[in-house]
Amino acid sequence: MADTPIGVVYNTSVTRPDAALALAAMYVMESKRESHMGSVCVAGAGFNAAVFCDIIGKMYSFGTRNGNQALAVGLAAEQGVPDSPMVKTAVDHNYPRTLQRVTDTSAPVEVLRNGVIFNTYSVVILSGPATYLARTLDLLNVKDLYKDRVKRLVIVDAGTPYKDAPALRKVIAEWPTPVFFCPKEVGDALKFPGAQLDKDFSWVPSHPIVDAYKAYKPMPYDAPLYDLAATHYAVHPDSGFFELSAAGTIDVANDGAMKFAPGSGNVKSIGIVPAKKEALFTVLIDTATAKPVAPAPPNRGGGRGGSGRGAFGFSGQGRGVLPAIVPPTVKQ
Amino acid sequence: MFITKKAINRRSMLKGLGAALSLPLLDSMIPAFAEASSAPVRLAWFYLPNGIDMRNWTPPAEGPLPAELPNILAPFASVRDDVTVISNLTANWGRPLQVGAGDHGRALAAYMTGVEVYRTAGADLKLTTSADQIAARANGHLTTLPSLEIGLEEARQTGNCDNGYSCAYTYNVSWKTETQPLPPISDPKNLFERLFGSDVAESPAAHARRLAMRESILDQVMGDTHKLEATLGPSDRRKLDEYLTSVREIEIQVDKASKSTTVIDPGMDKPFGVPQEYADYFRLMTDMLIVAFKADITRISTFMIGREGSTRAYPEIGVADGHHPLTHHMGNMDMLEKVRQINVHHATAMAAFIKKMKETKEGDSNLLDNSLIVYGSGLSDGNVHTHDQLPTLLCGRGQGYIVPGRHHIYQRETPVANLFATMLDRVGVRPEHVGDSTGELAGLTSLS
Repeated sequence: MADTPIGVVYNTSVTRPDAALALAAMYVMESKRESHMGSVCVAGAGFNAAVFCDIIGKMYSFGTRNGNQALAVGLAAEQGVPDSPMVKTAVDHNYPRTLQRVTDTSAPVEVLRNGVIFNTYSVVILSGPATYLARTLDLLNVKDLYKDRVKRLVIVDAGTPYKDAPALRKVIAEWPTPVFFCPKEVGDALKFPGAQLDKDFSWVPSHPIVDAYKAYKPMPYDAPLYDLAATHYAVHPDSGFFELSAAGTIDVANDGAMKFAPGSGNVKSIGIVPAKKEALFTVLIDTATAKPVAPAPPNRGGGRGGSGRGAFGFSGQGRGVLPAIVPPTVKQ
Repeated sequence: MFITKKAINRRSMLKGLGAALSLPLLDSMIPAFAEASSAPVRLAWFYLPNGIDMRNWTPPAEGPLPAELPNILAPFASVRDDVTVISNLTANWGRPLQVGAGDHGRALAAYMTGVEVYRTAGADLKLTTSADQIAARANGHLTTLPSLEIGLEEARQTGNCDNGYSCAYTYNVSWKTETQPLPPISDPKNLFERLFGSDVAESPAAHARRLAMRESILDQVMGDTHKLEATLGPSDRRKLDEYLTSVREIEIQVDKASKSTTVIDPGMDKPFGVPQEYADYFRLMTDMLIVAFKADITRISTFMIGREGSTRAYPEIGVADGHHPLTHHMGNMDMLEKVRQINVHHATAMAAFIKKMKETKEGDSNLLDNSLIVYGSGLSDGNVHTHDQLPTLLCGRGQGYIVPGRHHIYQRETPVANLFATMLDRVGVRPEHVGDSTGELAGLTSLS
């Protein structure tokens, strides 16, 4: 299936504007068939972080995502984790959403694994506690599954240590496919121009990312694009914007702080090709702020249909895509 | 003090010329000072085809089941305290996953196996051992039949039944190995003979003679029955009489069905000897399952209410259209209403079976309390083929293992295989995994 867009699995804590911008970019790339969402899993944050991801997904997919086309946002619900002001402000805006309660979210270990299976081939972006991604590696046959389906794992360093250092070390040590490290320097070199925020998202009267960006800290400020840069590399590794180090590993301190260490190991660190920095910056901003491309009308007659044996009681060939008409079963 | 009374062996049989009949659990089989609950725990899975009208299935909130159950579950009102509604379970490998059409083939095949369904319409099937067969492999030696596979549609094993998926995938929920499905028995007479006739100690000649003479198995074992009765107390004599009566009633039903000359309804496949109406058919087959459980012929069963993608019509309730085409209602309210009616029709039959299980005494308890029975499907919304938020009703208590009468809502993507792993745990079967299970369902059992 050479023409199948690469799947994206995103493990995030959604505590910084670059995570919100990365989410937007993922859905824009999906609308252009450059990639296809597998799953989003929130780790190390509260319920509203999951709601924020849900709002973005719903807004960018024109209401076409339901249980058959998309997985509900995963949540490793942690007691006592306060919502970041960033997501709370956007959630309080009452944008359309699917998640109303914790049981509307997906179980974290399962949604990470199932998100990989959701597409023929996938990339995984780790930006947040690795607790649940590490646990998937202990499921039976999952390492073989990842070996077959996951093209690469990209680990983001935003300078803030991840919780659960042992889990991060386990992922680095046991991940069965190539691992890439996106160091803090990459994100620091690419900053979103905060002064242009309203203009860039003016294609819609109000936007949750604008709300979140403004709530993160006093405006104006330019946010480093840690997750957004990592996302672009994960989906477009051959863009020519990036260069790779020799193989090495990631040293993880007990507090979760990361440092790339050249030498033995299967990790490569990502750097920006100096001459391409401006072009990369333009692509990142254009992608993250773009209006998603509307989906084509459903095919009602030419899809892959039955075998003509009448096994299911239909006459004729092909019944195309059947749109969802039953309201979501989530209780309001 | 010494206990000298010798207990009757649990696997004793009534024997006659060319026939053998298992016995129910009698007090005389329970040694003095034995554990109060010596009856085994039975496991069963009833598979519903084509999903459910979920708007009329899911209770509004988590916690104790409401006084007024959702419309499709309303038939279970009289056994509300014996059933558990479990929401948000997923059969991930039923999903398209970029493979494309074939949701019915994958829905059934992946439901109890929890693995990727190899797409083929040929003989190169590939799946894995289903949850019931994992249990049968471990505990099947304890009973005459390791497991019992029943269905209400004659099973096809070859051909392309769903966009390149073999009919073996749409007709069989039980898989002994990764390549060997266990076809459900759909002919009442065949089921009866498997339970009470040809499976045990009956020569081909005797079997043929009995069939030719339409002789009752009970008549054949009459001599042995009289001998046994003489050794039993009043309580056991009553139990034996009830049991033999139930066997006789089934014999009569089977005989009556086999003599039926009713014109076959064109809306459904009706092999010779099968009751014309679904409810009668369901009752006859479940009556035999109850006897099989009661007599400890088997402790594990699967029951295909219909093959996945079933086009069966239900003229007896005014639904002349096929089930599967109706589920692709695309919002047509008239079609949706007919789907709901079929769902209620199925639930009514199932609830009657559950009630009968509860009325079937076993020691100080009853058969339902000693069982864990799933009533569910690998599809939720049949219109768009969703494989998550599956309709799942767990009936029974598994001898105090489950505290029923509640609605449990799990986080989405929780594998339905986690429920099956929880059930297997109750009978002491703890495989490393059941398909794509990630553990057991927390909070479901009295132990968690």
